Amino acid sequence: MLFSALYRLFAPRRALLFLLTLLLLGVSLAGLARLEVRDDIESMLPDDTSQVADDFRRLQQAPFSRKVLISLNGSQIISTATLLEAADDLAAALSPEYFSRAVTGPALLENHQLPEWLESRLPLLLGEDDLQRIANGLTPERVQEQLETGYLRMLSPEGWLLKGVIRRDPLDLRNLGLEKLRFVNPISKTRLHDGHFLSADGHHALILADSSVAITDSGEGAKMLEQFQQAADGMLPKGVEARLVSGHAYTVANAEAIQRDLFIVLTVSTLGLAALFLLFLRSLRALFVFLVPVSVVGLAAVAVSWCYPAVSGVTLGFGAVLLGVTVDFGLHVYFALRQNEAEPEVALGRVSRPVLFGALTTLAGFAVLLTSSLPGQRQLAVFAMTGITAALLLALIVLPHLVVSGWRPAPRRLYQSLFIERRRKPLLLLFFWLVVMVGCLWKVADVPVNGELRSLSLMPPELLKSEQELQQTWGNLRSMAMVFAEGGDLQEALGANDMLFELLRRELPDAPVVSLAPLLPSAAVQQANLQRWQSFWQQRGESTRRLLQQAGASRGFSEAAFAPFFADLQRQPELVTVDSLRQLGFGDLLDVLLLDNETGVQLVTLLPDTPQVAALLTSEAALPPGIHLVSQSRFGQEVGEAIRADFLRFITLAGVAVLIMVALLLRRPGQILLALLPVVSGLVVMLGTMGWLGMEFNLFNIVATILVIGLGVDYGIFMVCRGEPGDDRGTRRAVLVAGLTTLVGFGALVFAEHPALHSIGTTVLLGIGGAVPTALLVVPALQRERR
Amino acid sequence: MKYIALLLFLLIWIAPVSAEEDPGLALDRILAELEISAAGIKTLASDFVQEKHLEMFQETLVSTGRFSFAQPDKLRWEMLEPVASGFLLNGSSGKRWHQRAGAAVPFDIDREPGMKLITEQLLAWARVDIVWLVQQYRMTLVSEEPVILKLVPLRPGAEQFLDYLQISFDAERRYVETVEVHEPGGDFTRIQFAETELNQPLDPALF
Repeated sequence: MLFSALYRLFAPRRALLFLLTLLLLGVSLAGLARLEVRDDIESMLPDDTSQVADDFRRLQQAPFSRKVLISLNGSQIISTATLLEAADDLAAALSPEYFSRAVTGPALLENHQLPEWLESRLPLLLGEDDLQRIANGLTPERVQEQLETGYLRMLSPEGWLLKGVIRRDPLDLRNLGLEKLRFVNPISKTRLHDGHFLSADGHHALILADSSVAITDSGEGAKMLEQFQQAADGMLPKGVEARLVSGHAYTVANAEAIQRDLFIVLTVSTLGLAALFLLFLRSLRALFVFLVPVSVVGLAAVAVSWCYPAVSGVTLGFGAVLLGVTVDFGLHVYFALRQNEAEPEVALGRVSRPVLFGALTTLAGFAVLLTSSLPGQRQLAVFAMTGITAALLLALIVLPHLVVSGWRPAPRRLYQSLFIERRRKPLLLLFFWLVVMVGCLWKVADVPVNGELRSLSLMPPELLKSEQELQQTWGNLRSMAMVFAEGGDLQEALGANDMLFELLRRELPDAPVVSLAPLLPSAAVQQANLQRWQSFWQQRGESTRRLLQQAGASRGFSEAAFAPFFADLQRQPELVTVDSLRQLGFGDLLDVLLLDNETGVQLVTLLPDTPQVAALLTSEAALPPGIHLVSQSRFGQEVGEAIRADFLRFITLAGVAVLIMVALLLRRPGQILLALLPVVSGLVVMLGTMGWLGMEFNLFNIVATILVIGLGVDYGIFMVCRGEPGDDRGTRRAVLVAGLTTLVGFGALVFAEHPALHSIGTTVLLGIGGAVPTALLVVPALQRERR
Repeated sequence: MKYIALLLFLLIWIAPVSAEEDPGLALDRILAELEISAAGIKTLASDFVQEKHLEMFQETLVSTGRFSFAQPDKLRWEMLEPVASGFLLNGSSGKRWHQRAGAAVPFDIDREPGMKLITEQLLAWARVDIVWLVQQYRMTLVSEEPVILKLVPLRPGAEQFLDYLQISFDAERRYVETVEVHEPGGDFTRIQFAETELNQPLDPALF
């Protein structure tokens, strides 16, 4: 009755109403222009203190996730020298505008002092196990064997190079130090050749580059890729090709796919909507109906900007599409006023009740998203609720004045006799519906939840192929598990890192671990190692001297042969520090594995992302304090669990909210059940079909499901609230056209190549595809049966 | 390389030879002669005796064996006494063996900087690669009859292992007869080549 009264109030003052409306829309457009939009995936990840949020922040630190990796592939006839020269040339040709740094090998190699430095730091780096290995080797037989090897080496042409080494280290202890280096090579399958990264087969070279372009910046990313391609085309000789792998390539591929998708989807949906318009509306005034959702986008965006400092681009894009559903309100008002023989204010009064309650149930559905831990979904809730409210008010207050000027009852048209009137066999229809429901229910529980963020993005086959080749050639660079050892300061973090390394060596002795711990133990561990070393040689120094003399005598070694070895045992080495490692050329490695920020210091250990690693490092009891595992696979599982939990919570909350709204409106149990039938049918068809087709449920499906719930309930409410048979043409037509516009608008997304858009299209197509026929055919049939 | 040698040769013969020739010019002339006379060597095979005079051993270490070379980059260094061991190189890859170990083990000089350094030296002396040697060493002429050169390494860091080399050539200046490797501290190694055969067919199985 309120809206009838408002209609009467504004009927003589339409100019004022339109002016106020235009003013409001103008203000919202001005606000829209000043929005700060963020274009990254972070808004679709939890921002609370949950494990998922924490893991995501840590995953951002992955050493190779922000690097640009360029693998050069030389054919069989290309020599190693040519390949490495090509790598140098290409690295030099990469523009500093996009590639801030490009290296073809580790700086470490340029320092020839490393072996000697390592030898001098053995007392600080060798632990108890290492000393035990030395002790095991101090037998006459083993020492004799070592010296025999030394003697033979001295006879070889290399002898003059090795003499100093054999004198300083007759027991070959330096091997224990060199073993430490194998833990600091993140590129497991590389070998070094003339200071370059070279693959094991000798046919691939690698360039590691940093880029100043943000990984989410598709525009600059495209320019970066273009510059790389130009450089590669210009610099590489025949027989050498280069492939670039980085997050940028995926961003650009996704942006291009979305652009292509938008063209296809907009073309299909525009043609579909035009067809619906020509078939069902055929009036210029009906165009105002379609202006309702367009008008409220700006208002909704401004409302989000009031609540959040920056609006997610995903929210804006997806929300704008979501508001397409508000065209339904306009359609119901349009058909009620244009197809009803009653006076406009009377017809408006009748239709306002189901429209209002339909909108309220949809609002209730979206309101549950406010409880989400994902900021993007909360923003979406504010966006959708504001837009729906604004669209509701526009549809019930402004639109009637735009569509009924010069009102007259509409003549009955041919298509108006479609559907219910011609059917005389409701039992057959109900049986068919029941069969479909049972068939779909069978598979509802089989729909798996996919929490992989990658599944929301387009993964072009050529990029996947490049990534697989990169992995085969250079090892698993981009998806290793990371273990963080944290501390308030460097020494505390190093201490945690020492404990972690010890745990890993004990529990997973064969796992290829990348860790700073063997080369940079905490000062406390270094001191303890030094004391142990000194004590060891105090006890065994003289006996070792005798062993060497006795064993050496048989091969003619002089008494002074190993004097340098015993002199070195007395030396007090300087502690290994971050600075000393940087001076040696370990800077790149430290930048990757040592993170120093305002919250403290973190040391990163890299491991293969295997179930064994996850099992060891997720059992809290077994872990030293300050240790956290982060891996792509575990993160995917966590997001999957979060989606599953969110989905159950949303469905429950939305179901309860919708049930309350429907119960408040209809009151009678029979009518409540009938009103809920379309939404339940829609969900069963959606999930059942996805189960039969082996499809997965992802983050975007949740929002699309809530849309299905909101719209499905609307259809049920309208059909239950419609007039008596014969007087319900406007309602049925409105439900039919509203359902078809949703199917055309959202269903067109099923043609999209991008997985996120495609999954929304599929969900809506199936859900609404199940709800609309149930509302239009099954609900009236059941009503007739009841009568 | 050959053009440089020709230039040096012409310069040497066009320039008037005085009784008190500048030592630098004499060295250049000798080097040019060495390069020209060695240019025709396709294969070389020789016995060798190696003496190591080292502080760390009570006595001189003596070993004997056979050395073979074929252009452009094939080498075989085979020690026969006191133990059978050695290596061969064909391009950048090769094999090494030892009587204790049994089967030969392949290696790649790109992965072994020590072997790379040694094989570079052996190849340079077998080929008498004057251009490469001039890049690596500062040379002085110790004697002209027979030709004896003293070479001090130029490469940074090499002085840790090598004080200087002394190389003696045969009377016809076609191949190396003696190499002495003098190390810091007084230790030295002498390798004497004997029964050298030039451009005789070598069994391909050697490499």
